[in-house]
Amino acid sequence: MRQPAMPIRSPFESSIAKPGQGNVVLSLLPPNNPTLTTLTYKYPLKLVPRAPGFVPTPDPAALSDSCPSRPVHLYLLTYGGGLLPGDHIEVSIKLEPRTRMVVTTPQGSTKIFKTEDNGGHRKKMPANDHLSDMSQQSLDVRIGRQSALCYLPDPSVPYQNSRYAQVQTFTVDAAARGDQRSSLCVLDWVTQGRTSRGENWNFRFWKGRNEVWAADEKTGKSRLLLRDSVILDDEQEDELATDESDDENEDSSHGLNPHPDGGDVPPQAQAGLLPLNIIQERTRPHGVVGTLILSGPVFDKLGSFLIEQFTSQPRIGSRNWSSSATSSAPEDSATARGDVTWTAARVRAGFVLVKFGAKDFETAKHWLGGLLREEGSIVREFGEEALFCL
Amino acid sequence: MLFEDRPQDLESEIAQLEARLHDMRAQLDISTYPTPPSSHPDKSWTMPYNTTNTTIKKNTNDQLFRPSSVRASSLHALLLLSDSALPLGSFAYSSGLESYLAHNKPSRRTNPVTSFHHFLKLSIASIASTSLPYVLAGYRRPETLETLDNDLDASTPCIVAQRASVAQGRALLGVWERAFRVSFASEHANGNADNAEASAITAIDDFSSALKSSFEDVDEYDLGPRGHFAPLWGVTCRAMGLDLQQTAYTFVLNHAKAVLSAAVRASVMGPYQAQNILASQSLQDTIMGRIEREWNTEPEEAGQVVPALDFITSATSALQAEAMRSQNRRCVDLDTIA
Repeated sequence: MRQPAMPIRSPFESSIAKPGQGNVVLSLLPPNNPTLTTLTYKYPLKLVPRAPGFVPTPDPAALSDSCPSRPVHLYLLTYGGGLLPGDHIEVSIKLEPRTRMVVTTPQGSTKIFKTEDNGGHRKKMPANDHLSDMSQQSLDVRIGRQSALCYLPDPSVPYQNSRYAQVQTFTVDAAARGDQRSSLCVLDWVTQGRTSRGENWNFRFWKGRNEVWAADEKTGKSRLLLRDSVILDDEQEDELATDESDDENEDSSHGLNPHPDGGDVPPQAQAGLLPLNIIQERTRPHGVVGTLILSGPVFDKLGSFLIEQFTSQPRIGSRNWSSSATSSAPEDSATARGDVTWTAARVRAGFVLVKFGAKDFETAKHWLGGLLREEGSIVREFGEEALFCL
Repeated sequence: MLFEDRPQDLESEIAQLEARLHDMRAQLDISTYPTPPSSHPDKSWTMPYNTTNTTIKKNTNDQLFRPSSVRASSLHALLLLSDSALPLGSFAYSSGLESYLAHNKPSRRTNPVTSFHHFLKLSIASIASTSLPYVLAGYRRPETLETLDNDLDASTPCIVAQRASVAQGRALLGVWERAFRVSFASEHANGNADNAEASAITAIDDFSSALKSSFEDVDEYDLGPRGHFAPLWGVTCRAMGLDLQQTAYTFVLNHAKAVLSAAVRASVMGPYQAQNILASQSLQDTIMGRIEREWNTEPEEAGQVVPALDFITSATSALQAEAMRSQNRRCVDLDTIA
């Protein structure tokens, strides 16, 4: 991510890390001791290793093969539990061969704030209003051979009028084959905002891009294996957006719910009455959309399980879709799925991609958490704490 | 940000400018060549009026046949590429219409046509945000075709959309090689070569041979070329002399046509109503609006603006399987004809 030019405050400050930057290297020290050999971060970012808790299995024989080393759990935090306009978080993580890392965000959600006045408590960059106004986060993880990343964070909760762009890049070892391959499990999800305040996709811009690259260390070449990119844009920054509204009631010059404090406004019941903003139109009828990316030997079984679950669910047009399941039975996944639309597919290079939309955060959390616990390999390989956010 | 005026204004201004340009070219032709220009020997225009037309008033445009104007607008190639009979199988793919209607019918008390309008708009926004940047990049940088193909393959999460894109892309490649190439490539061999067009032709040739040789040795990790539609469309249009606006517009319009034809097939509306929508100003505005939005979007910045379509479309696999089969039949038919 390009950083806007900043006045240099101290000659010593920026040489180590810029604000919001973090750098982590996880190495496997002999004999079999995973260690964070590098761990730096700078306000407003905070990276905290969780005290070693989970030990995968008491059986050392099993450890050597499927799970080469004990997973290290890293908390990814920001002050205030989210990002202010102009915040740039830039995290770089390297997992050396045969290491495992769990990353969670133990703050309930990643809040994307919008301060009303231009100041905020952190200085805004003057250059380009559109860009400086945006909160940005980039995560770059290099996953060595036989290493595994399990990254199941909280959802992104963009507040009204906020702007946010996130790029997450995962690089795997292109030369590794079979059981030597890098493994990753990445969840990326975004909600409609603070439903308690009646927010319903009322932010200005949210963009989430996840890329997986295969890099060959010998040739230096890298190739894009997978790109998942979602852009939720209210398209209000230019006047052109109004041109595209036709006779339908979507001339959403403001795109705001007319009852911002009516927390209990049913989102779809009034779809025909309330003007929908463009993002609402494109996410309807969901309050959360998300993607789960799985790849590599550690998550092979989980991937197959999810595909099996998907293909065995009733087909489109079935009654299952519109039935209003009660959240009182979260464990009964078949019931809970009434409020979740999802698809799982084995795409190229052995990736399993799950895309889902759900009525709300709780529904999505119970549904996905339920599936992952039911299958069991994440808990078995990384511990229950890997599912902290679910 | 490139477009400060309303699209209609720009459009009409462009039309006016083009008309003037054609007009002046025609005059130039007439004044320079008493007979059809000899620099186009492969074009068998016979213009009995040309020599006499100088006396006709300039503003009576339709009395003056201006071959140069037809040529300059690449009208012939444009019509070929926008023809519904172009055997690409595009019409077999409904882009998830059935599924959308099935999902949205119960929860809304609107009629199917209203629902369809929503879908068409979402579908156009989606194709423009996910694929159009690859069309534009293919046109602008034909030599990157293979990378664009790989990256689009990596960026298409929906299996159904994947299959449709590859089927159409390979069909386009087939039509190019069997039908168009001989006319459009030889034109360049005869000295009319625009360097850019020649490089587009080379890019298609290279890609095609890479595609053919990759069929044998594709393992799970070493992914060969696939033949996705969008970048191939951009490169092919360039090879055939279309301009970038035409290339983008036909791409999105053809998509709209395919969705409309799926609506007719699904009995959402009759053929006249479909044509009515196709002809409407509102559809044109929507298409122009989406093209303008993505005009400067680099492929790596492309993304899905309608996330709901990704999981809805995939849910139609069963329906699509049948559609793809019928499309394959059409391709087979074409083979037997050829």
